Amino acid sequence: MPDTTEEKPKKKFTGLPLRARVIRKLSLIIPLIIMFLVVIMAVFADLSWLGLPNVRLSPHDPDDVVIRDRFLPPAFMDGGKSEYLLGTDKLGRDVLSRIIYGSRISLSISALVISITACIGTVLGIFAGYAGGRIDGFIMRVTDVALSFPGLLMAMLLAVAIQPGYWTVVFALSILGWAPYARLLRGEALKIRDSDFVAQARVCGASPWRIMLRHIFPNVINSLVVMITLSVGMVILAEAVLSFLGIGVPAPTASWGSMVNDGRGYLDTAWWISAFPGIAIGLVVMSGNFLGDWLRDKLDPRLRQL
Amino acid sequence: MTRFIIIRLLQSFIALIGITILVFFLVRASGDPLSLIASPNMTVEQYEAVKAKWGLDKSWGEQFIIYMGDLFQGDFGDSLVKEKPVIGIIGQALPNTLKLIVPAFFIGMLLALLLGILAATYRDSIWDQGIKFLAVLGQALPGFWVAIMAVLIFSVNLGWLPVAGMATPSHYVLPVATMVFFMMPGMMRLVRSSMLDVLDSEYIKLARIKGLPERVVIWKHALRNAIITPLTVSGMIFAMFITGAVITETIFNWPGIGKLLVETTFSRDFAIVQAITIIVAIFVLSINLLVDISYAYIDPQIRYQRS
Repeated sequence: MPDTTEEKPKKKFTGLPLRARVIRKLSLIIPLIIMFLVVIMAVFADLSWLGLPNVRLSPHDPDDVVIRDRFLPPAFMDGGKSEYLLGTDKLGRDVLSRIIYGSRISLSISALVISITACIGTVLGIFAGYAGGRIDGFIMRVTDVALSFPGLLMAMLLAVAIQPGYWTVVFALSILGWAPYARLLRGEALKIRDSDFVAQARVCGASPWRIMLRHIFPNVINSLVVMITLSVGMVILAEAVLSFLGIGVPAPTASWGSMVNDGRGYLDTAWWISAFPGIAIGLVVMSGNFLGDWLRDKLDPRLRQL
Repeated sequence: MTRFIIIRLLQSFIALIGITILVFFLVRASGDPLSLIASPNMTVEQYEAVKAKWGLDKSWGEQFIIYMGDLFQGDFGDSLVKEKPVIGIIGQALPNTLKLIVPAFFIGMLLALLLGILAATYRDSIWDQGIKFLAVLGQALPGFWVAIMAVLIFSVNLGWLPVAGMATPSHYVLPVATMVFFMMPGMMRLVRSSMLDVLDSEYIKLARIKGLPERVVIWKHALRNAIITPLTVSGMIFAMFITGAVITETIFNWPGIGKLLVETTFSRDFAIVQAITIIVAIFVLSINLLVDISYAYIDPQIRYQRS
């Protein structure tokens, strides 16, 4: 092609309107900042894990009951005190401090659940995809059932069986949560299994385990990372639902879902008890989803439908 | 085809048995269910008598065989707390839940289809941006919080709608809207992406080249194919509705299956939780089975691959 026409399509391609480019940049930067802040909040809520219980980010102890200060509106409203930025609840506990501590529950549970489910799902998925045949059929049938079974129902069943608690929540969210990973990675493994380099590895005498670990696994990491990022939001939402219903981490531990529930009875007088934790959930989940979408576009555009 | 259906039926049946076993032993692993209904000043003899009355003195294996025997006759046992047959209690609650699910399904589907098609047809327009933003918001905000905020705005502040109860049609507005909120964002995205796929295909180009009006291309040619994907996830919709019902009925004090489930979870009335789980499992498995069979009916490849 002549030089003169070569410039034109290039310009057209990179020349997205400024507004669109700014929006695209912002939709990455804002979620990153939010996620970063939430992690900071969770880690530095207090430093008792470093042996410094008096150094804390949260303005108050989340469980400090000050009956005198109950139902105080947020600082920016009439009658609010500046020491309670987002107001207080029915026991005079600081809403902001409880949100800060609640981030620990949300983040630690989602980190645990995602590690467990991603591991189980990856192993099962790669194994099913590589082994094929009856093993594949069996694993995928179980996966189908796990995928369509309502997770909330399973969690409630477990809350009946075992007492509600931190580890019950982790267990309840993990027991069905591996299924999407298994299905996704099985499909990926199936495609890679028939590729030339796997055939060559087999000719060279590599054992099935070696092929799965050294040849298939590195090639599905992209999909795995995308899936993990996208599930952060889902797990945080699921945890919030459980604690909202009272089968999550038991009171008085602050968690975002149970805080929304706490304020349900005082909507007419103290809306802030319910409103702010919900906004926190929404912001974090949205950031997780945005980052997941961005990663997917970067790493694995084929996974659009996820 | 018959072979395929038989195999899939068998598989579903085995899955159902598996779930039943899991549920049965999970619930019993929790400890003595009688500790909740037994009063502290019962004598040991009285306690043993109550235990025998409920058949809890037998071993787990025996209990399981009795339970399965009853189950095959359609008997889910009695509620430990209410001392009434489970099936009657569920039968009372189920219609109330259906009164939420059925309108929510039709309204949600209609809205999701309309908005999804609108977004796909005018891709990257202001409509598309707006609808995508709605979907992102809908998938990020927790449903229970949105419902509570709706109560705050429409019931507490504006006083337009009642907070709880089910007496008049206006009582239905907020609960049904909440249920719609649970299924719509995901459905909308699905319709949009499936519509985009279809609009990209060759036969749509042909239809356009033929000079058919855009109205006919979209509503007649594209829609018929784009609607298949959303329908195949009916199992997923059902799961969303279960979650939605539990939350909606808790917030609006609606006497349906969801509220029953929450109550019995707290009173550890395991006969009811067990029965609801098994009934839901039957629903889920039958929906999957129907989807699979209709799929195999349309696409012969699946028939041979899977069987």
